[in-house]
Amino acid sequence: MQPTDTSGERFTGHGSEWRDSNLNKSDAQTATAWVEQRINKRSMLTNKNRVQDVREIMWQLEKDGEIVVHRINDEHDPVMAKTLYGWDKKIPTNQLWHHKSCGQCGNIPGYPASLLWMMNQFETKYLDETEQTSCTAWNYHGSGIGNIESLAAVMLRNFHQAYVSAKAEGKPEGYYYPLVHCGTSFGNYKEVRGYLLTSATLRERVKTILGKLGRLVDGKLLIPEEIVHYSEWVHVMRHKIAERQIIDASQIRATIHNACHVYKMVPQDVIYDDEVLEGDRVAVSTGIIQSLGAQIIDYSTWYDCCGFGFRHIISEREFTRSFAIDRKLKIAVEEANADMMIGHDTGCITTLDKNQWIAKADGNNYEMPILADIQFAALVCGAHPYKIVQSHWHASPVEKLYDKLKIDWRAKKTEFEDYLKQIEAGGTREMLYDPRRAITGGPGYNKTAALAAEAFVPTAI
Amino acid sequence: MHHSSRVQKHIGDPLSETPILPRAKLQEIFDDIQNDMRYDHELNGCLNCGICTATCPAAHYYDFSPREIVQLLWTENLEAIYDAMQEKIWACAQCMTCAARCPFGNSPGGLIMIMREAAIKHNMESAKNVLRPFSRVMLKLISTGNQLSPDMINPDHFADWGPNISKIDAPLALLRKAIPMATLNTTKTAWEVNLKTSVELYTIWAETGVLNQLETIDENLFDVISDIMDEKRDDWSDFLDDQDD
Repeated sequence: MQPTDTSGERFTGHGSEWRDSNLNKSDAQTATAWVEQRINKRSMLTNKNRVQDVREIMWQLEKDGEIVVHRINDEHDPVMAKTLYGWDKKIPTNQLWHHKSCGQCGNIPGYPASLLWMMNQFETKYLDETEQTSCTAWNYHGSGIGNIESLAAVMLRNFHQAYVSAKAEGKPEGYYYPLVHCGTSFGNYKEVRGYLLTSATLRERVKTILGKLGRLVDGKLLIPEEIVHYSEWVHVMRHKIAERQIIDASQIRATIHNACHVYKMVPQDVIYDDEVLEGDRVAVSTGIIQSLGAQIIDYSTWYDCCGFGFRHIISEREFTRSFAIDRKLKIAVEEANADMMIGHDTGCITTLDKNQWIAKADGNNYEMPILADIQFAALVCGAHPYKIVQSHWHASPVEKLYDKLKIDWRAKKTEFEDYLKQIEAGGTREMLYDPRRAITGGPGYNKTAALAAEAFVPTAI
Repeated sequence: MHHSSRVQKHIGDPLSETPILPRAKLQEIFDDIQNDMRYDHELNGCLNCGICTATCPAAHYYDFSPREIVQLLWTENLEAIYDAMQEKIWACAQCMTCAARCPFGNSPGGLIMIMREAAIKHNMESAKNVLRPFSRVMLKLISTGNQLSPDMINPDHFADWGPNISKIDAPLALLRKAIPMATLNTTKTAWEVNLKTSVELYTIWAETGVLNQLETIDENLFDVISDIMDEKRDDWSDFLDDQDD
């Protein structure tokens, strides 16, 4: 090994004082092995004694009359789960307000559609409405445009809307509880919640803004009792979902990609379950896929990110695709010999799904069907691969997976193409819920009458 | 002095007594970083163990090390902090693996966000250059409340994603109409955003200084977005007037 060039021209990223130790490969590996520990439960328990449960502060602030907590009540049919440090987390399973993901809705619409379809199977009450924005955290993490105050104000505005939304249906405040679809929203909101609960200054600043918007409850900020990701709903519902399974998945070799913003941001709030990989790794997604009988295949880079990078997927795509291919897809194909990779977040699914084709330019063919956990769950419970799972938006070869699941995708595709012709001709559309419910306020609220004129039929169960 | 390398361009001649920026300016930039309410939460100490860099995805491909960033801040190396803000801080993929692993509970990724905000506030050319291709996302987000829309995902913008961006050959509007969720039958936004919601969001942007950030980084984009916001605010006023009538 050559010593580091000390002429000052080489920039190593290690700082100018850095000098190569000149260890041989084997000694270097021995010397650095201790930093290569994986991000499993054991490695993260080291910080346990220094991490405060901010929910304790939340309850105290409510007692002090400073905030109002949007509670998860019995009407939300909560299920208790355990997080990293063994803390309890209450997961609501009914009366849910869908806080959508811009990337999912814009690019992978079968992702939220599969979730709503699954909820319809259980006759779960929910609201999917227009009066919400993105969390704005993708843009923030990519660009630096935004700040802690804007992130906090956006979060509180969206959660306030969840709290009051049912009034449009003549139901009480707090009826619907927010269910966050996007992993980045989930991580960002939990991080922002921590700052809000620990900083009186931040609370004061955003209270002024929320007051101007008419988004306070009794003159106070409203904070939800738990911040809940959809994958947590799927996880606590996994056994019930498996009871509805009609397609055998036992021959499927599944790799799981856990999303960084789901389990690395505010890790103390993430579900770990003794039934899933001995409780040593984040439980969501792996839990449902295991419950559906597929084979969970481990792979050496399971803890790596996907390469999304926020700004990188738009303007530094060489990084995004190189990382996705070299560190995830190649490993899933060559090492795990997997039939699919399952994720639970927007950016990861997009990155891993869309960056396969370009590898061929370099002579590599790492084809790997990419789906979200809930899309796979819906599929094996009988959801239509195109009308519901909307897999035509996926660039990866999901058809290979359909063949292995013995789903006649060609026939289903033809059905969907016929359905498109029917819509084009002005025919009725299949909808997951009454579209009139989507608009709960503002000018759109007047559209109710117009929407009522449009015929729709509920999607097939 | 021959300025051949990026190192010399941004931090000047290491042998020269003359700094690239006056000390007071470097201090002002650092003070902005250090005064962020998150700073003390994100930086607790550093023993140079390098765990953060060991699994940093950006460190695989860029001249970037989260350990170095933490060290520069910890040792208050103002010149090198300024230099890192020219390029290195933009390499970070914001996965927060570093934060999950740091034995001290530092968040190098979180510190980088504070530095990015400071780079924008101080009108750094590097920030402008890096963010120029990201302007479509900013336009969409600030004017509509959605960060991504179906019409952004097309082969013209993403030729490297191959021929299967949609595997069914049909007009985008028709494909969107076939999504069984009423909020998603859109092409210009990921979901239909209520006008009331958009106008509330504009208030948040204005009150939290986001519009000032935008004006600093891209004046033309700021003008375009301001026009859109004015129009939507007018629509909202008209609606309220109609309600009064």
